[in-house]
Amino acid sequence: MQFLQHVCDVLYRSSFGTMLRESNNAFSVIESVHVLSITLLVGTIAVLDLRMLGLILRSVSVSRLARSVLPLSWSGFAVSVASGFLLFWAEAAKMYVNPSFRAKLVLLVLAGFNALVFHTTIYRRAREWESLQVCPWRARVTAVVSLALWGGVIIAGRAIAYF
Amino acid sequence: MSLHGWFIALARSPLGHAMQTSRWGFAVVEMVHLLGLALLGGSVLIVDLRLLGVILKSESAITIGRGVSRLLLCSLTVMVLSGIALLSEEAGKCYYSPAFRCKMALLAAALVFYFTLHRQALLRVQSEEPTLWPRIAAIVSLLLWLGVGVAGRAIGLL
Repeated sequence: MQFLQHVCDVLYRSSFGTMLRESNNAFSVIESVHVLSITLLVGTIAVLDLRMLGLILRSVSVSRLARSVLPLSWSGFAVSVASGFLLFWAEAAKMYVNPSFRAKLVLLVLAGFNALVFHTTIYRRAREWESLQVCPWRARVTAVVSLALWGGVIIAGRAIAYF
Repeated sequence: MSLHGWFIALARSPLGHAMQTSRWGFAVVEMVHLLGLALLGGSVLIVDLRLLGVILKSESAITIGRGVSRLLLCSLTVMVLSGIALLSEEAGKCYYSPAFRCKMALLAAALVFYFTLHRQALLRVQSEEPTLWPRIAAIVSLLLWLGVGVAGRAIGLL
């Protein structure tokens, strides 16, 4: 923990971090990119989750939708992580002690874990249920957990500013 | 009542009072606004990328459009309602904010476009490869909605 805190201090006090933090426009622009990237990341994942819950796009098979949507989600993830890392760099020392930031990271890891479990188990047998309007209960649970966790990431992310 | 009068009335309404005096009101409503943004953005991306012929080419564009229209309209409703609540907290400031006015203009344009020319383009795309007009419609739609988002960010920053 001391090491992590030290790393955060170093990032915070670095000239790049300071420049970002004190910039007039750079930080705001990066933050805007980060906020708008939730459409590309969470929005697309949500579309897939809502399909698995049988609420939208019922005529499209889950695998076909996933094949189209997941590259978008990954692109969104790349943009979110890149912009997020820069934002973190600028405020690293403050983020270390921010409970909402820590919660956000935990929720992010859990969301990733949820996706990993899904892709290595129930999704392996997707061909059996991909065209069903009502997916197997495990897929639906994954979808609900995914929506909750990603919603939590967004909420925790917004709450960072309040701590 | 003048437009300015409506803004004042909103600020003085029970909603306005609640938003202005509550400690957590603005934060919570803003979070709802962000969640709606994710869903609205996701549905717009799916439809417009299909219209551009980038994804889901095996499905007809109108099928995709219809498949996400409920999500799009529900998330849009959430954003408008939460947006009104956010507005009631600082109606006076927003009335004079160029970013806010820009956002409202772009939002109106995006909505009109969605219910008219965009819908037409969706119906016209029969085959896998869309022609020029559907592609233009998709790009216009994406730019308008992106503009709404950017202007929205600018409200808080300018």
